[in-house]
Amino acid sequence: MRKSSFWLLLALIAALAIVAAGCGGDDDGDDEPAAQDTTAAETGEAEAVDCTASIGIMGPFTGDVAAIGQEQLNWAKFAIDQFNEERGTTFSLVEGDTQLDPAQAATVAPQFVSNSDIVAVVGPAGSQEVEAVGSIYGDAGIAFISPSATATNLTEDFDTFFRVVPTDADQGPTDATYMADELGAQNVLIIDDQSSYSTGLADSTTAALEEAGVTVSRESVSQDQTDFSGLVSSVADDTDVVFLPWQVAANAQLFGNQLAEQGKEAVIFGSDGLFSPDDFKIAGSYVSSFAPDITGLDDPAIQELVAAFEAEYGDFGTFGPPTYAATTVVMEAATAVCEDGEEPTREAILEQMPETNLSESILGQPITFTESGDIEDATFFIFQVGEDGSYELVQ
Amino acid sequence: MPRIGTDEWVEQQELRTEYYTGLTAPARRAFDRVGPGPRFLTFLAICALFPFLTDSPFLIRVGVNVLLFALLALGLNIVVGWAGLLDLGYVAFYGFGAYMYAWVSSGQFDIHLPTELAIPLVVTASALLGLLLGLPSWRLVGDYLAITTLFFAQIFVELALNLDRLQLPWMDEPLDLTGGPNGIPGIDRMDILGIELPGVRDYFFLLLIVFALVVIGLYYVNESRTGRGWRASREDPLAAELMTTPVNRLKLLAFAMGAAIAGLSGSIFAAVQTGVFPQNFEVVLLIMIYAALILGGAGSISGAILGAIIVASVPEILRTPENARFLFYAAAIAVLVATVRPWQRLAVVVAAVVAFGAVLYQLVALAWPVGVEGELTGGRFSGLLESWMVIPAENQELIGNIAFVLLVASVLTLTLLRGDARLMLLVPTLYLASFVWENRLIAQPSVTRQLLFGAILVAMMTRRPHGLLGTPRVENPV
Amino acid sequence: MDFFVQQLVNGVTLGSVYALIALGYSMVYGILKLLNFAHGEVYMMGAFIGYFVLTGLGGASSPMLPVAPVLILMFLAAMLGAGLLGVVIERFAYRPLRDAPRIAPLISAIGVSFFLQASALLLFSAQFRTYNTPQLIPFSTGLEVGPLRISLVRMLVIGSSIFLMIALTLLVNRTRLGKAMRAVSYDREAAAMMGIDVDRVIVATFFIGSVLAGAAGVMVGLVFERVFHFMGFIAGLKGFTAAVIGGIGNIPGAMLGGLLIGLAEAFSSSYISSTFQNLIVFGILITVMLVRPSGLLGSPVLKKV
Repeated sequence: MRKSSFWLLLALIAALAIVAAGCGGDDDGDDEPAAQDTTAAETGEAEAVDCTASIGIMGPFTGDVAAIGQEQLNWAKFAIDQFNEERGTTFSLVEGDTQLDPAQAATVAPQFVSNSDIVAVVGPAGSQEVEAVGSIYGDAGIAFISPSATATNLTEDFDTFFRVVPTDADQGPTDATYMADELGAQNVLIIDDQSSYSTGLADSTTAALEEAGVTVSRESVSQDQTDFSGLVSSVADDTDVVFLPWQVAANAQLFGNQLAEQGKEAVIFGSDGLFSPDDFKIAGSYVSSFAPDITGLDDPAIQELVAAFEAEYGDFGTFGPPTYAATTVVMEAATAVCEDGEEPTREAILEQMPETNLSESILGQPITFTESGDIEDATFFIFQVGEDGSYELVQ
Repeated sequence: MPRIGTDEWVEQQELRTEYYTGLTAPARRAFDRVGPGPRFLTFLAICALFPFLTDSPFLIRVGVNVLLFALLALGLNIVVGWAGLLDLGYVAFYGFGAYMYAWVSSGQFDIHLPTELAIPLVVTASALLGLLLGLPSWRLVGDYLAITTLFFAQIFVELALNLDRLQLPWMDEPLDLTGGPNGIPGIDRMDILGIELPGVRDYFFLLLIVFALVVIGLYYVNESRTGRGWRASREDPLAAELMTTPVNRLKLLAFAMGAAIAGLSGSIFAAVQTGVFPQNFEVVLLIMIYAALILGGAGSISGAILGAIIVASVPEILRTPENARFLFYAAAIAVLVATVRPWQRLAVVVAAVVAFGAVLYQLVALAWPVGVEGELTGGRFSGLLESWMVIPAENQELIGNIAFVLLVASVLTLTLLRGDARLMLLVPTLYLASFVWENRLIAQPSVTRQLLFGAILVAMMTRRPHGLLGTPRVENPV
Repeated sequence: MDFFVQQLVNGVTLGSVYALIALGYSMVYGILKLLNFAHGEVYMMGAFIGYFVLTGLGGASSPMLPVAPVLILMFLAAMLGAGLLGVVIERFAYRPLRDAPRIAPLISAIGVSFFLQASALLLFSAQFRTYNTPQLIPFSTGLEVGPLRISLVRMLVIGSSIFLMIALTLLVNRTRLGKAMRAVSYDREAAAMMGIDVDRVIVATFFIGSVLAGAAGVMVGLVFERVFHFMGFIAGLKGFTAAVIGGIGNIPGAMLGGLLIGLAEAFSSSYISSTFQNLIVFGILITVMLVRPSGLLGSPVLKKV
């Protein structure tokens, strides 16, 4: 390639790219039908609702926690497809990869803000990312709902923030009470994985346990750690329960295997991050979750959904269904706006969100929001893993 | 290519009198005639106009990221390009600057220094840290220095993650230095000499001013004795030492200056993001800065800037999914235009690809109807592709994956072939590329970004190893 | 005492895996003065290949063949696949950069690393895969000396790494190819003038290094069970560190470096604290570097004037 043509090529691509990137945000694009139809004709018929909007989704779709992000993304896509099919709407999804990095989240957020098609955002996944983007979305008046950010202060700090998962302040005491009362633990070792979800939950559980008079020791490992044998061998023999508020269930499976390998008797108690019937199967351990195991729920509608999802996307763990719920909340809000005969704009949806009252959801419980945007009546369910790796509800 | 035995000055003269032809000739001649000063001023003027050309906060944010990156690349250029020290711990200075600014301008310790005090403090502290971490360079060379500095970078992240529960013997409560994995949120906005900087746009202008000052400063440093000393110690430290160049002190100076610039950009970064978190400073960022510097050409200021622009903006451009298809085909055509000459041959290739696709589509429709019943992802030009692109309705993922592997193999084979064989393989390869794009990649923009970025790095390096604006150098043969 | 020996075993297991990866780095560096950052991804691909072979043969819970042939097949497939991948990478990403400034192939390697990671994400999805070893080789098999328990899997890993390292040392010291490799690493031009086909030697080096990485991948899958697209990045960093600590370019040094890091990790996480494990390991390594600037077994670089 000669020098001159090389530069020309570079300049051409750069110019094209800038034009494309610049235009991509502002104009409506040929792909979306530009009409935002009202649905005055459809009153009385709850079936086909004419409603079009784009929903942004932020999450770690690449990078080291891509497993979580991809699961969330797949469930969101699934939610959109299901909803569109059932209700005749035309919602679409716009992806924004953040790799769980707040700096990237802070770059994706303005991009979503400047994309006028996007009316609400599902995500971001991590609590720090919410910190980084909260004011950006707040200033723009866009509702954003996270399926996995659990730091307690977030809904207080940001007005337009909602979430479908309970906070650390809910899960910690529930787990602690179970460990202290039901399991009769006197000595608990809590190991966090140096993520903000983990440390927040670990702190809240420690406080609750110490109040109940249990001795708590703390350790911390990195999510990237290959081998836990050293850590396992330092687990004291009189430890009754090891509490693992981890995000990566596969790590916990290895930890459990190594516990057994070294003949330690401690029982593993995991938080909702460990809830993954495919990855975490240590017999005799406990896992808490804010939803009953949706695969074990009696509701045939939910089972159908699960089967359909598995047919298309494969296995899933704990981060997917809340994303489905969150996306559905947004779509319900938008549809409610459309049914009233108005356009699903950002303000309209932001106003509609607190009124959300889903009597049933994929999480097996109704979804309503408190004043600040947290989910009402958050309860946690505790499961025990059986000999064959299946999860059994015990509380 | 470097011409051994030719005097550098003579070569420059010869290049200067090279005749430019074509449309851009007058502009390039003017560009050459004018010195580096006016050139830089024009560049600055264009950058300054940028926020007025667009309303989109996203683009301004990208602009801010690009400028931060450029500052980092310039700082790294001092250490790696000019002084020739392989420093893999550079992000630690960036992070240190950010955290230090957070310490003195947020609610963490309730210290709220005015910005005019905070920034010089941060810069000085970073420079001191740079001096400290540069000390190992006295004993360690090359890759050993690299590994030690890498340790420092890792240690920094570890400290940032774990120093939120520091139990000092004389204190009752554990000290929270860094906020652990949650970082330090709620950093004050900057307030320089009474001018408040509430929005991203204001930070863009601040960064532009800082950037200009840094570039001018670095240019003069490079022209000075220090710059010559760095060049000497990079090429041959022993000879330089014998010529009374204080090699060790110059190394420390390089580290300190690089660290100071990194600390400065770190503090501005902290203010823009209004928070600092440990994830912001991981090894991946370091790799990107290195990629930017080497791509642009290490040792050259303009190279560092160009590399930073490319590396910081390309992933963002690749992020817009709506226009992804448009971009993909536009880029493919642009590459073809540039590589296949003359235009008659190009026309033949394009026609062949279209024909190939149409024929293949018909064949598949006959032999295996399911193969063409899949849905094209909507978007621009989807109508055009209807009868051309084979989209299987079943096993789309598996077929797409196999096609992807085949595509990689075929692209690699293309580089081995010459002449007509190359053109003949080019046609199915292009169709295969579109196939993989439509079937697999278009649905996963985040993964595609990373794929393309890696491929671009490899392609650029194998074609221009000294970087876009670097000078071809012959390294000391071992 | 048994606690100590337990940690020793853990450390040696981990260390031998790191050593295998470090060997690949060291060998390539010795010949080409190139830090092959894509090496970690080759290791990751080896682990995935092993996983797919295992699944293809019925998975850990119901394998179609007895355990030993399954393992052998996994190892062979992974090693071959990884070796081929390494050769392809060398041919297309490094050979054009043979005479370029040293840092250019480094960036090319980084590009390859990103590309391979993203390809793994695309082809295999982000899900964690597990080898599920306890189903294949239960915990109960193994050595039991008092309260000390060494599982069969760990012994297997340590044994195979020792075997591979001995094989490599024999290759380098006793065969003609090994002699050619040593010659090329001393002085490439002179070796070429002596009639050694430098390209072939380089290809062989990459092949062997990648074969070792592939074997390491399967071993990690067996002992630590998790296979995911990002594992290469982390292991690559550690392997690179091990190679440099031992003196880069030096084969026994790489083995020593890997063992040192593995032991440091095992002992610091068990005796001191898992929280500060990484910090302690890095601290040890920095001290080693400052005390012996050219690595443990490395020879100081001589400058010819």
